[in-house]
Amino acid sequence: MTVDLASIEKFLCDLATEKVGPIIKSKSGTQQDYDLKTGSRRVDIVTAVDKQVEKLIWESAKAQYPNFRFIGEESYVKGETVITNDPTFIIDPIDGTTNFVHDFPFSCTSLGLTINKEPVVGVIYDPHINLLISASKGNGVRVNKKEFDYKSKLASMGPLTLNKSVVALQPGSAREGKNFKTKMATYEKLLSCDYGFVHGFRNLGSSAMTMAYIAMGYLDSYWDGGCYSWDVCAGWCILKEVGGRVVGANPGEWDIGVDNRSYLAVRGTVNNETDEQTKYITDFWSCVDGQLKYD
Amino acid sequence: MVLTMQELKNVENTFTELLLRKIGPLVKSHTGTNFRSYDDKSNGVDLVTVLDKNIESIIKAELAGKYPNFKFIGEESYVEGVTKISNDPTFIVDPIDGTTNFIHGYPFSCTSLGLAEMGKPVVGAVFNPHLNQLFHASKGNGAFLNNQEIEVTERTLILQKSLIALEGGSERTEGSQGNFDKKIDTYRNLLSESGAFVHGFRSVGSAAMNICYVASGMLDAYWEGGCWAWDVCAGWCILEEAGGRMAGGNPKEWVIPLDGRCYLAIRGGCESMEQKQFAESFWSYVAGRLEY
Repeated sequence: MTVDLASIEKFLCDLATEKVGPIIKSKSGTQQDYDLKTGSRRVDIVTAVDKQVEKLIWESAKAQYPNFRFIGEESYVKGETVITNDPTFIIDPIDGTTNFVHDFPFSCTSLGLTINKEPVVGVIYDPHINLLISASKGNGVRVNKKEFDYKSKLASMGPLTLNKSVVALQPGSAREGKNFKTKMATYEKLLSCDYGFVHGFRNLGSSAMTMAYIAMGYLDSYWDGGCYSWDVCAGWCILKEVGGRVVGANPGEWDIGVDNRSYLAVRGTVNNETDEQTKYITDFWSCVDGQLKYD
Repeated sequence: MVLTMQELKNVENTFTELLLRKIGPLVKSHTGTNFRSYDDKSNGVDLVTVLDKNIESIIKAELAGKYPNFKFIGEESYVEGVTKISNDPTFIVDPIDGTTNFIHGYPFSCTSLGLAEMGKPVVGAVFNPHLNQLFHASKGNGAFLNNQEIEVTERTLILQKSLIALEGGSERTEGSQGNFDKKIDTYRNLLSESGAFVHGFRSVGSAAMNICYVASGMLDAYWEGGCWAWDVCAGWCILEEAGGRMAGGNPKEWVIPLDGRCYLAIRGGCESMEQKQFAESFWSYVAGRLEY
């Protein structure tokens, strides 16, 4: 089966900007009567709009690509939904739901496609700041539909080293137990002048926007645990197209699947210096205090 | 001398015009291009560029041309222990707030122009040219985002349902003497399920942007220690004009000076009693006392 990835990218871009974006923008900050999810995801908020938007994306995608599979945040069933080798849309209707509820202008839609479990198309659209970033395997990256010259950007950024980097960190919604402890201890080590001593950390509250920002050269890396495939699929494809790399959050996890649940995403380097990237990853891992584990 | 509402509005217009015409384009065109040319300040994390200094002198000259009798305090010309905020009308200016963002090209650097009179913020304008967000206000005249009046949606303010801004800052020495451990412990208390269990925190890396986001209700609060008057002066005026409140970072600091160094900004859109309860509840999670 041959699949024209560029045309799928275009289809998803149009869907994001014409149909999904306007809903997200008009409803942001209007859903004050939200439910709080139960259990460890109690601060993770689900809104009716989330479900409505997922349905819209699913129906549009199905009409155009009837044979593709579909995995979405709202329709996901734990233990049942698995990623196969078939072409599969992996989507988050609204990434950054807490932002969406609070009207912090970094909620977005994140639309990805995997083939053979590899992210091959990625589209992220934030309607609040009107940023569309998209990519497909082998075709590079576009920002607001214009080709993105990532090589010049990387050349202007200088070498990738831990103590000169700005790192994205998000504590997520689970705020007790081992994973939360590991996260807090790791943040402290990354910041401390005795360990990582990074330039700074940033927290946008959206995994997809964070990965988009790494691809655009605004951030150097992103470390997180507890995310799902739909949070990272689109961003992963985009990041790979600009020389970035995604590995596991725990030391030694060099090869991981889209549904690994914990991730370290790192930007590309000038002239594709893989040694520099590898060193960055191992230096970063040396600040990880504990191990992130998710069922 | 007490400036009238119209005089304050004129200063606000001077600020916004200067930011849109001259300073914004300068900041935007140079961001992310100065990675190699910074001087290291404390611990090499607080980075200051040559451009920072140039922009401050441009602002100073422009404002002195129009308001020759007003005093001027800027980040780059400040002298610790010598520079004092008096009762006179005083421009308090940060040419590039979020210098780390500026150097790395992260689109949250901005210029913060404030005016204080009798030691209180009375005019403020903050411009982020990357996202094209211009926040501005003057005392008694309301607060605006890109010329649209900011009206924070009325809703309850509760710590557990809040989204707050927290920053790592540049002071990173561990140990009981400094503020780093107190900050990290406070963050842990705020996030933890057995603690405040807030909805989340955000860090954009610019104090002025954080305060403006609180002013417009995109964030519920911002807690910080270690900033300076020029980081907060403009935002503070915008915050108050949008119904928000500025308190201190340490417990019971209901009234603080502009250069208090520790701040708790709280959004409007609720009763002042709710703001008070929020502050008290927030302070109960502050681990130790921040000192600068």
